[in-house]
Amino acid sequence: MTEEFRASAPPPGPPRPYHFPHVTRRVLPNGLRVLIAENHNAPIVAMRSLVRSGADHDKAELAGLASLAADLLDEGAGDRDAMRLAEDIGLLGGALGTGADWDATYVSIDVLSRNAEPSLSILSDVSCRATLPEEGFDRVRKERLTEILQQRDEPAAIAGKRFAALLYGEGVYGNSIVGNPDSVARIALDDIRRFYQQHFVPNNSSVVVAGDVRTRDADAFVDRFFGSWKKGAEPPRPEVTPRPIDSSRVYIIDRPQAVQSEIRVGHIGVPRSCADYFPLSVMNALLGGVFNSRINLNLRERHGYTYGARSQFAFRRQAGPFVVAAPVRNEVTRESVEEVLAELRRIRTGDIEQQELDDTKNYLMGVFPAMVQSSGDIAGRLVDMELYGLPEDYFDRYRENIGAVDRDAITRVAGKYIDPDRALIVIVGSAKAIREPLGHLGLPIHELDIEGKEVA
Amino acid sequence: MLQIEDYKLANGLRVVLNEDHSAPLVAVNIWYHVGSKNERVGRTGFAHLFEHMLFSGSEHVGNNEHFRHVQSVGGVLNGTTFFDRTNYFETLPSNYLALGLWLESDRMGFFVPALTQEKLDIQREVVKEERRQRYDNVPYGTAFERLLDLAFDPAYPYHWPTIGSMEDLAAASLDDIRNFFQTWYRPDNAVLTLIGDFVPDEAKRLVEQYFGDIAPGREFPRFNAKRSPLEAERRDTFASPVQLPRIYRLYHLPKMGDLDWIHADMLSTVLGSDKASRLDRALVHEQQIAQDVAAYVLPTESTGMMLMHATAKEGVDIEQLEHAFDAEIERVASGGITDDELTRARVRAEVEYAHQIENYDTRADMIGMLSTYFGDPDMVHTWLDPYNAATANDLAGVARKYLVPDNRVTSVFVPEAA
Repeated sequence: MTEEFRASAPPPGPPRPYHFPHVTRRVLPNGLRVLIAENHNAPIVAMRSLVRSGADHDKAELAGLASLAADLLDEGAGDRDAMRLAEDIGLLGGALGTGADWDATYVSIDVLSRNAEPSLSILSDVSCRATLPEEGFDRVRKERLTEILQQRDEPAAIAGKRFAALLYGEGVYGNSIVGNPDSVARIALDDIRRFYQQHFVPNNSSVVVAGDVRTRDADAFVDRFFGSWKKGAEPPRPEVTPRPIDSSRVYIIDRPQAVQSEIRVGHIGVPRSCADYFPLSVMNALLGGVFNSRINLNLRERHGYTYGARSQFAFRRQAGPFVVAAPVRNEVTRESVEEVLAELRRIRTGDIEQQELDDTKNYLMGVFPAMVQSSGDIAGRLVDMELYGLPEDYFDRYRENIGAVDRDAITRVAGKYIDPDRALIVIVGSAKAIREPLGHLGLPIHELDIEGKEVA
Repeated sequence: MLQIEDYKLANGLRVVLNEDHSAPLVAVNIWYHVGSKNERVGRTGFAHLFEHMLFSGSEHVGNNEHFRHVQSVGGVLNGTTFFDRTNYFETLPSNYLALGLWLESDRMGFFVPALTQEKLDIQREVVKEERRQRYDNVPYGTAFERLLDLAFDPAYPYHWPTIGSMEDLAAASLDDIRNFFQTWYRPDNAVLTLIGDFVPDEAKRLVEQYFGDIAPGREFPRFNAKRSPLEAERRDTFASPVQLPRIYRLYHLPKMGDLDWIHADMLSTVLGSDKASRLDRALVHEQQIAQDVAAYVLPTESTGMMLMHATAKEGVDIEQLEHAFDAEIERVASGGITDDELTRARVRAEVEYAHQIENYDTRADMIGMLSTYFGDPDMVHTWLDPYNAATANDLAGVARKYLVPDNRVTSVFVPEAA
């Protein structure tokens, strides 16, 4: 006989309070925005410098420019060449990273807290006094071209590139962040220097420091190392030009040797500033955002078609894509697309159980403290605050905002922002194996090569 | 200094507690001392398939309910399998500690009654998709499998990777699952680590309530296979759908934690970690014949390995790359390393350790590992000591002793003819 305590899940104890670390936010006279949060879990400090211009500034013919500029930042800065930078950061117990996404270009250092001060000095050199040297440029550009070449073998990378290009054309969000062989070959060092001079100005930048450091010390270091950075003109903000489609269609990109089909289903979504952000977050988590969501339970746990399937709204400054991603074995490609479309239809009908809604909201509310334990995690949230103009109490109020979402709100945002009848379906896989079954979907099918050219 | 409390229940379950109130969370982490090295030929991939099955419910927890119970209160969870161990873990809001213990004890004590053929069939398909997605459908995805095949004789179970083969996955039966569970999944073959926001006396009471009545198992086979030395380098070349040739190396080492393994860990930092490391500096930056390089050691219990790889730039001959690669290793072996290089390797170990203990979940995993492999959770306090005591000569000595041709295997990936 089962003892009573085993028969069902034990009830929780009283909930324990949680507060996001206190955030100090200020603006230096040169326009640089500074955010600091203390976290003393471990002797680590995470520092980020972000420039609020990213690959959204790349022109189609020079796609890859922002991320290439980022790659060049640690090739020399201040008095140090590339090797000296790497050696000195290594001696301090730090990791130096640079990169660009659609919205911003970043320099990051995670370092032992006893070396916070010299590390902030290096962060300042790399952000404000990058030397962008000729020899580094030649090598970094060749490495980039090789990276793009290698992506020709990566089904997920191919699917992502084709999906974006079909949704956004040659405008913002339509090119690859890393660029393509032609655009990268065209980029000159002068283009990079021009991007750096125009965008790497304090009034277009923020510095974030999180971790095992006292706020007043961090403030003093930031003043010392970033205070004399010269203000520049405010850069323009490029606009997205989406290309909505009027009915669903399928694109197959042939990879003859593929043993899986890499599926993408979706369309244009919403910007991060969307007023429906919270109901959309709950709706997506329920639909396909977490392990126990409908799409994953359907494709993985009910059917065994995939190791994992997810849906996502890419929240960016402007409307990024909504996309469902699923790698499935060749033989069940059509069935998987049908199941995904069926889930997109069902969520719009209001067919939502209270239990499922409560579970999803409780997950999003409860998991938040676990997602912001490390100093690097906290720094990441401060970066979001800066990029998307979130108020200081945003993360403290996050849980109550999620809690306020109800079933009507979910149904409303699903109806408004999810559209299975105007979806782009991109599949990278073995055309020979999947072409015929996909015909039964009753949707127009186009076949493209890896570069996106229509195949006869 | 972390407050560690370490004790055993009467049934042999080792329990390690680390009270820490900095976040309202608790990490529940179980290490079972069983992995793919406890599989037999013909049933490879079994320990990992089994890990999937343990998420599909137990007597009092329905199919898929394990995930639902944890996620619906804001917990995160997963499990992983490697050669020597399988771990299961969840991070929960701290007022749900009892929930985590209820779930873990139910699958430790009451798994078999909930087993069905249908669950096995589904998880078998999921694992096959995992193999396709992570090994078969990606460039160089089978490199590790090829290295293991060369480096270990079939009698030594590091010969095959944790994911196993498609044929063996297809052959796994319900009886296999039951036997495997009864042999290995038992309190006296496990370590339960709890970290976070709890009162130790209350945690101990709950642990006793949920785990105390689970019976220990019968005598079980201790792992005692011996690796036979290579005697000479083994190599293969593999034509596959990749754009660029890449060379992979595996060097045999002593097991994790031995002083030579620690020194090899530091040497891998000197050789292939950041821009200023030897292989990166020479092959990527100066000669510009490699796209990328890497060197690292694996945390393995029974015998150790250092892995390295280098990808040739377009148009670069793979033999030229291998020659330059070996020249750098030879330079370390004969010329030694600088004091700065030693310092960077030491400080890197320190910062990696700090990151490891920063979060409850990764800290619990490290303590579970130390308890399982070395029988001593308090090693978390002394882990860095041998790193701090190492000399430049220790590291060069490891290069001379282990990074030699008759102690290595090489697998070369070349693009298949168009």
